Amino acid sequence: MEELIISNDNLKKIVHELLNNDCRVIGTTAENKFKEIESADELVLNPGSVPTGSSFKEYFFPKTEPLFFYKQNHSNVDLFDPIPDKSKIVVLGAKPCDAAALPIISKVFNWDYKDDLFNSRLDNSLIIGMSCHYSDEFCFCNDIGGSPENMKGSDVFLKPLADNYFKVTSITPKGEAFIKEYQKYFEKDLGKNKPIERKVENPKHFDYDKVKTWLDNNFENKFWDTAGEMCLGCAQCAFVCPTCHCFDIIDEQNGSCAGRRAKNWDACQFSLFTKHASGHNPRDNQEKRYRQRISHKFKYYMDKFDEVLCTGCGRCSRGCPVSLDILQVVEEINSLPENSNSIQ
Amino acid sequence: MEEKFEPKIAAFVCNWCTYTGADLAGTSRLKQEANARLIRVPCTGRIDPVFIIKAFENGADGVLISGCHPGDCHYNAGNFHARRRWILFKNLLDFIGIDSSRLYFSWVSASEGKKWVDIVDGVIDAVRIKGPFKQYKKMNKEIEIPVAVEEGVSVK
Amino acid sequence: MNELKQICKDALTEKKARFIIGYKEDKNKRVKPFIAKTPEDAEKLTFSHHAVNNLAVYLSRFKNNIDGKIGIVVKSCDLKAVTALIQENQIKRDDLFIIGVNCSGVVLDVAKEFNKDNTQIKCKYCQAKTPPYYDALAEESKEFEMPDDDQAELMAKIDKMTAEERLEFWNAEFEKCIKCYACRQVCPMCYCEKCIVEKSEPQWIDSSSTSRGNFSWNIIRAFHQAGRCIGCHECERACPMGIPLTLLTRKMGMVAFSEFGYRHGTSLTEPTLIGTYSTSDKEDFIK
Ligand code: SF4
Ligand code: SF4
Ligand code: SF4
Ligand code: SF4
Ligand code: SF4
Repeated sequence: MEELIISNDNLKKIVHELLNNDCRVIGTTAENKFKEIESADELVLNPGSVPTGSSFKEYFFPKTEPLFFYKQNHSNVDLFDPIPDKSKIVVLGAKPCDAAALPIISKVFNWDYKDDLFNSRLDNSLIIGMSCHYSDEFCFCNDIGGSPENMKGSDVFLKPLADNYFKVTSITPKGEAFIKEYQKYFEKDLGKNKPIERKVENPKHFDYDKVKTWLDNNFENKFWDTAGEMCLGCAQCAFVCPTCHCFDIIDEQNGSCAGRRAKNWDACQFSLFTKHASGHNPRDNQEKRYRQRISHKFKYYMDKFDEVLCTGCGRCSRGCPVSLDILQVVEEINSLPENSNSIQ
Repeated sequence: MEEKFEPKIAAFVCNWCTYTGADLAGTSRLKQEANARLIRVPCTGRIDPVFIIKAFENGADGVLISGCHPGDCHYNAGNFHARRRWILFKNLLDFIGIDSSRLYFSWVSASEGKKWVDIVDGVIDAVRIKGPFKQYKKMNKEIEIPVAVEEGVSVK
Repeated sequence: MNELKQICKDALTEKKARFIIGYKEDKNKRVKPFIAKTPEDAEKLTFSHHAVNNLAVYLSRFKNNIDGKIGIVVKSCDLKAVTALIQENQIKRDDLFIIGVNCSGVVLDVAKEFNKDNTQIKCKYCQAKTPPYYDALAEESKEFEMPDDDQAELMAKIDKMTAEERLEFWNAEFEKCIKCYACRQVCPMCYCEKCIVEKSEPQWIDSSSTSRGNFSWNIIRAFHQAGRCIGCHECERACPMGIPLTLLTRKMGMVAFSEFGYRHGTSLTEPTLIGTYSTSDKEDFIK
């Protein structure tokens, strides 16, 4: 297949067309936030920017969404399905650590129950990823199988070239169809625009297999007593995380005889998360809840779905009000002897 | 043809004075408008501002709060504590831009059946003029059954 | 700096405190909360412009499981939270070993250096850089340039808006809320064992982040802080959605002062604003 490139201007023209075709375009703006953009000019693609404060998961897994509505009708109850969201979603400029999260959480949403709401959005979407030219002390994609050039989760992938051009790679049939549809905007790569060099390095921080083995054997380790000691349980980390996917289901009244059942974000750092109706709470302190966070990300999800439930984006650490740094915690685990129960 | 707007008023009243006053209005066969739903609480001190929010969420166009006159509280100081809270709460509503003039306060004693009728009628008239509390009703948008969905499935 | 370490080391050696809640610097030079349990741990304690956290938030968590005193490192703004907790009977003065630090301003963005443009809002109107009381005092007091109090300007601007404009302003802000409750978790004054949002019979506040749920949460949170907020600005710092939460709580503090002459966290013995009343409180709005 021939190599293609596209100019930033033409990319914007595509966005313009997409918007005219009632597509929802999710892109990064000048404030470096993911947003449903209203005009192509809002879009700012900058491979060198830090990952956005929040991930774009809310466009696939909204912070709150109705499952059904109900209304009392004499002695019956009428149920109403929510209007299915059929519009096409195009995400533009997803970093590898953002895009990779979708196939990861897709596994849990398609495990014993197929989550139609999530699936229909994902099926109707096109993810345009972009290589990343950023790295800071919180990033660690390369330690868990990712990389700044990783195309996992993307349908089309962009690599920045000189003079505001991008090299285009299509990864999936969806991506291929997209390029075909808008082919007039793409150009043949004649090698005129040199690739922009990545100026930062991602150092190696830990050995994932070692961390996994430690986690397999040290549920009761003393390490956990201090790892999450300063955690406030605010769950900011889970809510900004591209891979956290926990939710709660609740019923909500509207007046006296109607209402809806909704699915809302939830997180294991809340004390209520595991509280039983009896009042008993198996994870009764923050240290245990923090252990759950780390273990779910780096052990349980791997055991169950063969994926690390983390893409190494570092958002959770950048935003943590007490600067609890997930990378430093994992690095510390990495430095512990394999079965360090003995050092208690 | 527009239907005449009939406001819904939630009235939180204390057990010892205003509720008894409203009762007196009834036993004295005083006429009053029927738009207010009375909610009896032990004391105005029991009225958490979240009750007011809840009333607005559930469609109240106005809220009336009424209890014993200062000094008459059955629990000595419940209404004094409540008064402080209302001052703060009204200021908060104002700063956020919620129309705090839809919130009415009064002291009505057990013997003031007539005063109760005047107050309730006054509030109902005032809110009728203001019209429905659209500002707040708009906030229910995500919880309402979407207009586009017409047919539901009936279950027992 | 060494002074702080020395004080804490001595306090731990002489058992004046069972442990000390303070700050340490991690390997990436981030200053974060840390608990020193042994005299050796005290070596790690530090203080700087980057010591933003209000450590008083930990007091409610740790107060139940210790015998002996809790040591805590506080700036003058943080001390207000300690005072308020004592005033609200959450903790006893005698159970604390307070290590005050002279503060010369803390940063807004922890990733950047401290300067005039990177100063926390609260520092822009801070009255006392030295904590008014303590068991030990560390750090030199340094002058720093206090930038304009732009929050007060914004507040005045909101005051001048019409009610509709104000509601529009706040709706746009509350819309962003994702109901993570980080604002509650970092707040030293939010110590309820069961928060009102967790009460589900009835569900007083919707747990969904819909317009209605976000609105009632934010308004009730602000109300629960009315005249109780001590102005540490931790809620706003923690909010991942950047909602200007302290505009509300600061405004309510101003109302508490103008209506009742009350400022929370400034006296160990004065009854709290809501815990008391005056027969002469105004009632021109009551019929
Ligand atoms: S953001 Fe930090 S303090 Fe909050 S729950 Fe996560 S780790 Fe704990
Ligand atoms: S756990 Fe933290 S680093 Fe990992 S994907 Fe989530 S936000 Fe990113
Ligand atoms: S880390 Fe916690 S919030 Fe995130 S997916 Fe796992 S259990 Fe859920
Ligand atoms: S409401 Fe905010 S500013 Fe006030 S005490 Fe709590 S965290 Fe601090
Ligand atoms: S921290 Fe911000 S987003 Fe989270 S609940 Fe509070 S106001 Fe909402």
